[in-house]
Amino acid sequence: MKKYLLAMGAVLALGTNAALAHVTLERQEAAAGSTYKAVLRVPHGCEGKATTSVRVQIPEGIISVKPMPKPGWTVQTKQGRYEKSYQLYGETLTTGVKEVDWSGGNLPDEFYDEFVFRASLAADLPAGQMLYFPVVQECGDAADRWIEIPAAGQDEDALENPAPGIKLLPKK
Amino acid sequence: MRWKIRLPASNCCRRNDLLMARPVRARRRFSKDRMNAATFPARLSGIRIRPVTGGLVAAFVLVLLVLLPGRALAHAALMATDPADGAVLTQSPARFSLTFSEPVSPLVLTLVRPNGTQLALTYFRLDGQTLAIDNPETLKSGTHVLSWRVISQDGHPVRGSALFSIGAPSAAPVAGETADRSLREAIWIGKLLLYAGLFLGVGGAFSLAWLAEHRRCGRRFVIGALLCGLAAAPFSLGLQGLDALGAPLARFAQPLIWKTALETSFGWTVLVALIALGLALLSLAGSSVSRKPLALAGLVGVGAALAASGHASAAEPQWLTRPLVFLHGTAIAFWTGALAPLGLALRHQPAEAKVFLRRFSRAILPVVAVLAISGIVLAIIQVREPAALINTAYGRLLLLKLALLLFLFTLASVNRWTLTAPAEAGDTEVQRRLVRSIGIETLIALAIFGVAAGWRFTPPPRALAIAAAQPASIHIHTLKAMADLSISPGHAGQVAASMVIMTGDFGPLEAKQVTLVLSKPDSGIEPIKRPATKPGDGTWRVDDLVIPIPGRWNARLDILVSDFEMVKIEAPIEIRSE
Repeated sequence: MKKYLLAMGAVLALGTNAALAHVTLERQEAAAGSTYKAVLRVPHGCEGKATTSVRVQIPEGIISVKPMPKPGWTVQTKQGRYEKSYQLYGETLTTGVKEVDWSGGNLPDEFYDEFVFRASLAADLPAGQMLYFPVVQECGDAADRWIEIPAAGQDEDALENPAPGIKLLPKK
Repeated sequence: MRWKIRLPASNCCRRNDLLMARPVRARRRFSKDRMNAATFPARLSGIRIRPVTGGLVAAFVLVLLVLLPGRALAHAALMATDPADGAVLTQSPARFSLTFSEPVSPLVLTLVRPNGTQLALTYFRLDGQTLAIDNPETLKSGTHVLSWRVISQDGHPVRGSALFSIGAPSAAPVAGETADRSLREAIWIGKLLLYAGLFLGVGGAFSLAWLAEHRRCGRRFVIGALLCGLAAAPFSLGLQGLDALGAPLARFAQPLIWKTALETSFGWTVLVALIALGLALLSLAGSSVSRKPLALAGLVGVGAALAASGHASAAEPQWLTRPLVFLHGTAIAFWTGALAPLGLALRHQPAEAKVFLRRFSRAILPVVAVLAISGIVLAIIQVREPAALINTAYGRLLLLKLALLLFLFTLASVNRWTLTAPAEAGDTEVQRRLVRSIGIETLIALAIFGVAAGWRFTPPPRALAIAAAQPASIHIHTLKAMADLSISPGHAGQVAASMVIMTGDFGPLEAKQVTLVLSKPDSGIEPIKRPATKPGDGTWRVDDLVIPIPGRWNARLDILVSDFEMVKIEAPIEIRSE
């Protein structure tokens, strides 16, 4: 009985924010054309194992990405060609960071940490829609993939491993 | 060219090389010489046959050789359908397809519309094991049933159906099933009469030609049995056609029925049986020269006819089962065929029947040994495990047959070891008892034929096991990816899953990882999630999977295309109960 009460309490306490158990972004909305500081929150390892690398895929429309270095971790970026060209401060951008990797670290399951990068949102991103940043959390040979993107009309809560995302606000 | 046949019977060749060399015609004299002990061995051990009759024997051997290699395997089992069972389609498909475990011949293909009306599907083509069927009309929305009936290579019809819906599922329409009781009874009677004709008729003709001293007794009985078999053979063929097509008795005369029946392996049985019956009849009418070879060819034909079709002949390994069925059938014909002529001879002409009795009782031991050994091996192949004797209709019929056989063997042993010697010595009281006993033996033999004819309606445990081992398969097709998922065996319990994945346009899909998720929300069982391994043959596998309960499960494949992209495809899959 005690067990059930505890479980119910846990559901009540945590249920309001199921995202606690997932890898999420701290700020979950941003305006098109604005600068965005992305803070990836990693609440736990992969089934008890310590996290050794975090990789995030940069979606189309997110440009000029700069990761924040992190002591104890090696930061790398993967460059790639954008699907189209973007204007930023009078410059035309056609290539840029498509993936950011933090690796070589050791974040035990019982600790929490954040992984930060800064980016610009293209001015023409459609307001009202979601933009997702798929994340692969690696723990030695195990991995949790926060890469699921809900299909049209699908409830995000139904996903087991949802990708962190932001809601696009109208350009200010 | 002269033909010479040697029988391996243990009771014959002991001496008389002298007599062997004699021309056949000269030996007629000896057949009248009742108690000449030397005569009989000589006649069995070395006969000369004229080229014509020898040709007939050769023809039988040829028929046998044609029939033996790989005509039949097991019952065909359905592997996949398109549309898949339970599929919901957005629009009417242009064609349907059914894929079986072996090539089949289609018999009746029907589409049952949502309102219960039926549409015969007549345009189809066979492409290996796949049957492609054209859909002649645009289907309206609702649930349809694709009902099929095909002939598998062992000659037995196999049937089934697949449900699919256009737009959205509706209540499944009810297809009228034609389980015709009178047809089944007719099939059973036809089979019983055919057995009577083959065993009592052809076997009887053989005993008259080879064992009897005085060929008048039992002759009318044998002719009667032969005519009965000659009538039953085509009758049975027509019934087989009706059963294969699921047609009522009223359509008996239609050419399609007969054409269908002839295309089944039972067509061969009837064909060879007719030849055997005819040869036996000829042997009764034939001259002293042709009598024996004709009767022998008839007897061989009985074995060949039985080996050409049926559950036992279709079983694996073929090199063993077909010869065994042949031996079994031939031995039955030898034994049961001799009973009536022997009994009648003992009753009416006891003095002359003594030679008949002696020859029969000498030959019968090896024959019964062959009969028993072949029967036991075939039963083991068919039943597989003792529990199936009680669990299955086939097994229960076998038990009934064994009980009858026990009775028959008891009677036969008493006859052979207690009554034969005094009867041969001329004890009339014992002879009367022997006649009575032989009469009862014949009746039991008929009862056994009846039980064996009942096997026509019961698939053997062997075939049931093959059917149970068939995998449950589905094809999942989406824009991003498609997969063939096969769960084997397709019933609840310990299974293994095998998956082949491709891109939505049939291209190769190099997945980094595939996970199989089986869920059954209505059961209260948590989803079963298993990562698949890649053994290197292009498939993904999940071994040691346990599906706890049968029913309609949802199978989902999580295909990791790249580090950041996962494609999930799912479809329902039907898991049978064990």
